[in-house]
Amino acid sequence: MSFEFSDAGRREFDRLLTRYPDRMAVVLPALHLAQRELGYVSDEAIVHIAERVGTSPAYVEGVATFYTMYNRKPVGKYHVQICRNISCSLLGAEHLIEHVSKKLGVAPGETTPDGKFTLSKVECLGSCGTAPVMMVNDDYHENLTAGSIDRILDGLK
Amino acid sequence: MPNLTINGIAVAVPDGTTILNAAKTIGVHVPHYCYHPRLSIAGNCRMCLVEVEKFPKLQTACSTVVTEGMIVRTDTEKVRKAVTGVLELILIHHPIDCPICDQAGECGLQNYYMTYGLHKSRYALEDKVHKKKVQDIGGQIVLDAERCILCSRCVRFLDEVTQTRELHIFSRGDHSEISVFPGRPLSNDYTGNLADICPVGALTSKDFRFKCRVWFLKGAESICTGCSNGCNVEAHFKGDILYRLKPRENEAVNRSWMCDFGRLEYKKANDARLLAPFVREGGAEKAVSWGALVPRVALELSRAAEAGPDAAAVIASPQLSNEELYLARRIATELLGTRNLAFTHRAPGDGFEDGFLIRADKNPNSRGARLLGIPDGAAFDALVERIAAGTVRALLVFGNVVGSFTEAETAALLSKVPFVAQVGTNDGPVSKVATAVMPSASFAERGGTFTSHAGRVQRFRAGFAPRGKARNTVDLLVELANRMGAGWTFAGEASVFHALSATEAPFAGMTYESVGSQGQECKP
Repeated sequence: MSFEFSDAGRREFDRLLTRYPDRMAVVLPALHLAQRELGYVSDEAIVHIAERVGTSPAYVEGVATFYTMYNRKPVGKYHVQICRNISCSLLGAEHLIEHVSKKLGVAPGETTPDGKFTLSKVECLGSCGTAPVMMVNDDYHENLTAGSIDRILDGLK
Repeated sequence: MPNLTINGIAVAVPDGTTILNAAKTIGVHVPHYCYHPRLSIAGNCRMCLVEVEKFPKLQTACSTVVTEGMIVRTDTEKVRKAVTGVLELILIHHPIDCPICDQAGECGLQNYYMTYGLHKSRYALEDKVHKKKVQDIGGQIVLDAERCILCSRCVRFLDEVTQTRELHIFSRGDHSEISVFPGRPLSNDYTGNLADICPVGALTSKDFRFKCRVWFLKGAESICTGCSNGCNVEAHFKGDILYRLKPRENEAVNRSWMCDFGRLEYKKANDARLLAPFVREGGAEKAVSWGALVPRVALELSRAAEAGPDAAAVIASPQLSNEELYLARRIATELLGTRNLAFTHRAPGDGFEDGFLIRADKNPNSRGARLLGIPDGAAFDALVERIAAGTVRALLVFGNVVGSFTEAETAALLSKVPFVAQVGTNDGPVSKVATAVMPSASFAERGGTFTSHAGRVQRFRAGFAPRGKARNTVDLLVELANRMGAGWTFAGEASVFHALSATEAPFAGMTYESVGSQGQECKP
């Protein structure tokens, strides 16, 4: 199975190529683009991007696995990422992770059988002032409690 | 030329020199894993930290360029503590499988642990991150991701030298590991170098692993016989078995590298060797002593020469050294008085070359043969025609094959010659039909010089005595010639080279000393 960007994706990729003096710089936005189209970054997408950029798949894989915002496996409709770094931890993030894990019936790193939620622990969301924090897809939710998490997750269709 | 002091010793080095290399010039070793003189500087292993006066923090010696008046210390308690800490960190996730690791004996971790380590582990065993062991990642390499310390030398080698980029570091933090992309194994012709530059046992040689502990091996300076590039190599052996070839540094020829094909050339010194002389009588092989065989060969060749001009012939080989070719030529022209002299390439394979180290001509000394006045090409074709026509009565053939002829073609051709004497190293098409087989020493068992395609005369040295009853070719040729009345007084390769350089213009003025370990350009 090979990967191709959609027509809009291909136009966006071509536009990105004109944006940097060095082609290699396109790897990051191209991975974002692939993830937007597929929901995650597939092996085929990596090979495709490597060929378009003119480097090896191993190089692109190295980039893709360095950053946690790229999903190398399919994720659910909602990707729930809870920070467990120092500030969030001190304010009870570990308990919140346990709470969500029980609520959804999946361990961190897993997806619910209906494909709706994927739960992840992440190292830092860069929002210590409003800890504990979680990210659902592209949205931040701050100053969490078990109650506010329940409301947020229950409100998702 | 900035002046600086390192550990109290004053030293002046060229502009742009790093602290690590400046220290090397005065014999001070700064520990390092990621630094490699042929690769870009990564500065990621942190083993080379040193103290520089007026700098608030320790500096990486591999990436810090010296400046005028710099005062560097590599021997303080602060440095020692830092290096010990770095080593401890590196070892947290490194398995202690030294007893079964093939890098044992030449492992950077083991070596530095004895100097900077010797500490108790502060890390709980169950927290250790386990990674995949024994992965075949293609080429000549087996990967053990758990042993990797992420110095990135391999990544930089594939990025900068081969530019094929098959390996990269995936994930991050304590889960970081090098690997290939799924379904994209190593695919370049220089993969063996990865095992050489890996400072630990993460990348080991598929061919060599578990064959021999390195501390049992001895080394001899040699030249790769795989093609005409003449890469400088070190031949590693135990007893009379060759175990591996490693590249030997030569800026002008192969820098620090060698190709995967050349690396496997060592097998020819071990496998299918001709180890005892024999003659073929009525189709059957019969063992014979050297004492009986050499006079017989001399007699047959002389008789053929007397029977008429060009009834004797010599087929030389570009696998022979300059010294051997010189003697072979003199035997043909002076003693046999024949114009039937040519050399033939070893089966040339696909003639592949890559513009880096691999040359199309898969012989180490074609250039030398031509410079010594032995022709190939049309001259060889003409010689084959005369043999096929049945005009040659006795033939002295060097090597295990005749050109790219198949076994059947070789047999058909040589059946036209009543007496075929072979000087060769390995069982092959020639030894299967020759009348007299004289086993000779492999490249690891004799010394001499080869002339590379670029005209660089380079020495290879004997690691050990010829295997079995095989003989040094120079000694054999001198005895053979003297049996034919030559009256030569050569004693060993050096004396032959001396005579050769006195009469052969391209080699004029050369001696073994001037050729040295790095070679010397021949005269145009």
